[in-house]
Amino acid sequence: MLALGYFTFRDLLHDRWRSLLTILTLAAVVVGYLLLASLAQAMVSLSKRAPITNNLLIIEADTIDPMDSVVDDAILQTAMEIAPAEIRLAFPIIFRHLTIEGHIMQVRAVALDEMSASQALTLVQGRWPEGPQEVAASEGAAQLGSWKIGSMVNIYGTNFLLTGVVHNEENAFGSLWMTYPEGQRLFGTPHGFQVGYLSLEPSANPASVRAKLLADPRISDHYSVFLEHVYTDSYNQSSSNLVILSGLMLLVSLLAVTFGIYNATSLGLAERSLEIGLLNIIGFPLNKLRIFLCARALVLTLAAYSLGWLISLVFIDHQRLRASVALVFLALRLNLFSSLLGLGLAIIFALLGVLLASSRLAALNPLTGRD
Amino acid sequence: MANGTDPSTLIEVAGLGKVYRRGSDEVAALRNVHLSVSKGEFLVIVGPSGSGKSSLLHLLGGIDRPSQGSLRVNGVDLVAASQAALTRFRRDNIGFVFQFYNLFPSLNALDNVSLPLLAGGLGWSAARQRGAAMLEQVGLAHRQKHTPAQLSGGEQQRVAIARALVVEPCVILADEPTGDLDSASAEHILALMRDLNQRLALTFIVATHNLVLLKAASRACRLVDGLLSPLSGA
Repeated sequence: MLALGYFTFRDLLHDRWRSLLTILTLAAVVVGYLLLASLAQAMVSLSKRAPITNNLLIIEADTIDPMDSVVDDAILQTAMEIAPAEIRLAFPIIFRHLTIEGHIMQVRAVALDEMSASQALTLVQGRWPEGPQEVAASEGAAQLGSWKIGSMVNIYGTNFLLTGVVHNEENAFGSLWMTYPEGQRLFGTPHGFQVGYLSLEPSANPASVRAKLLADPRISDHYSVFLEHVYTDSYNQSSSNLVILSGLMLLVSLLAVTFGIYNATSLGLAERSLEIGLLNIIGFPLNKLRIFLCARALVLTLAAYSLGWLISLVFIDHQRLRASVALVFLALRLNLFSSLLGLGLAIIFALLGVLLASSRLAALNPLTGRD
Repeated sequence: MANGTDPSTLIEVAGLGKVYRRGSDEVAALRNVHLSVSKGEFLVIVGPSGSGKSSLLHLLGGIDRPSQGSLRVNGVDLVAASQAALTRFRRDNIGFVFQFYNLFPSLNALDNVSLPLLAGGLGWSAARQRGAAMLEQVGLAHRQKHTPAQLSGGEQQRVAIARALVVEPCVILADEPTGDLDSASAEHILALMRDLNQRLALTFIVATHNLVLLKAASRACRLVDGLLSPLSGA
C-alpha cells in the first residue's frame, strides 16, 4: 500500500495543474451548494408560520400594506365597549417602512410595556427605550445595520440612541421600535395610527371576539379585524415563492455537487485507464488498484470540499454576508447538517464514480481496453 | 511444435484462438495457433501490422484470455487461471516491453523500475536497491532520478527493459521494442536484449514487423492474418 500511496502522491503532483483545476471546479460547485443551502435554510426559517396568539389587529379596510392604514383614535375605545370582558389590553401602533442608513426597515411606535406584556416582543439585550430619541432594534435590524447598544441610528433626519435589542416572534423583518409618543412626534401625527392591537383575555375566543367586532358597523364600515397570526402569515406570504425557488436551487446544487464529483472521478479514471492497466500488468491486483483510485478520488474530493467550505465560510461569516429580499432580512449561516450532508454525498458519489467505472476493469484487456 | 514432456519447454500453446467482437461483427485475431518455446530461446515473430502479434503476446503474458485452445506458461494453465492468479502470474513470471515504453510519467526511472518489486511485496529500500542495480545493468545508473520526459526514446526503452527484468521473469515479451526508435537506438536495444538472452539465458519473445530484428533470433515465426507459421530460412 505504501507503493500505491507514493504513486498516488506522485501522480497528483505530476498532474498538479489538472488536479488543481479539478479541485477548483469542484470547490466552486461546493460553494454554490453551501451558499444556496444557507439561503434555503434562512428562507425556511423565514417562512415558519407565526405563533398562534390570542391577539387581534384592527386595520383600515382594503389596505394592502399596514403602512397605508389610518385608524381613528376612538376605535380602540369602541372595541373595548363592544367586548369589554374579552379584551384585556388595547393599544395603537404607528407603522412605517423607511430607508434607514441604506437599509429598508420597519419602524414601529408602540406602548412598549403593553406590547411586551402581550408576549409579542421580548428584550434580548440592553433596556427598553424610555425617553425621547431612544430606540430599540430587532435582532435582524441590529445585525443588518451593524448597530450595538449605544449606537446612534438616524431615522427620518433625527439621531436616535439604540438602547436595546428585541426579539419579535411574529415577524422576520428588520424593525426598529420606539415609544408611542416618540413616534407621534417623529412622524408629526398627533392623531390616528396604522394598527390597533387588541390583546385578549386567555379565556376569550379570538374568532368569536372578531365576529362580535365585525358585527358592529362602527368597526366593519371602515376597518378589518384580523387574527394576529393569520395577518402575519399573509404578510409573510410574499416570501413563499422564494422559499420554493431556493429549495429547488438547493436541490439542483446538491445534484451538481454529487454528479460533478462523480464525473470528475470517473473521467479521471477513464483518462488513466492505460496507467491503471499497466499497474495491473506489473502485478498490482485489481482490489488494491481500486483502493488506490478511491484514495485518489477521496484526496481530490476532500481538498475540493474543504476549499469550498472555507470559501463559503469567508463569504458568509467573515464578510458578514447578508441577503435582503425587499424588507426581509436573511442572516446566512453555514449549517452543520447541510455541510455534512454535502460532504457525505460528495464522498459517496466520488467512491461510486470510481467503483462503477472500475467494475469493468476485470473484464478488459488492461492495455487495449477491449473485452 | 508443442512438446509437453520436455522439461526445458517454457511455453506450450495448442489450438489457440482469439476473437474480438465489435458490435455484431467478429474479428479473428488469432486462429489455431500452435507454439512451443524452450527456455533461453530468442524467438522473433514477424508480421504486418494487424496480423495478431500483439494479441498473441497479450495471451502469452496473461493480459488477455483466449477464445479457444490451451495455453501453459511456466507450468501455469492461463486458460483456467482466475483474474487474481493471472495478476500473480504476470508479476512473478513475465516481463513486458512495449513499443511506446509505457513508463509512468509521474515517476523517475528508479521508481519505474522498482514498482514491480513493490507490487510483489518487497520492502521500499530493498526494491530501490535492486532497481538501481538493474538500471546499472542497462547502462542508466546516471539517469535514476530522471523522469521519462527527461530521457531519450532509447533510454526510456532501456528503463522499460530494466523494469521488465527486475522481477527476474522467466520470459520477456517485447512488442515492437524498436518500433519507436531511430536505427542507432534500435541497434543498442537489440544488442542489449541479445546480450541479456545470452548472458542470463533469459527467454525472449519479440513481436515486430522490423526484419532487422531477425538477426538476433534463435528462431523466427511469421504471423499473417492470425495464422502462425515457421519462418523459412530463419
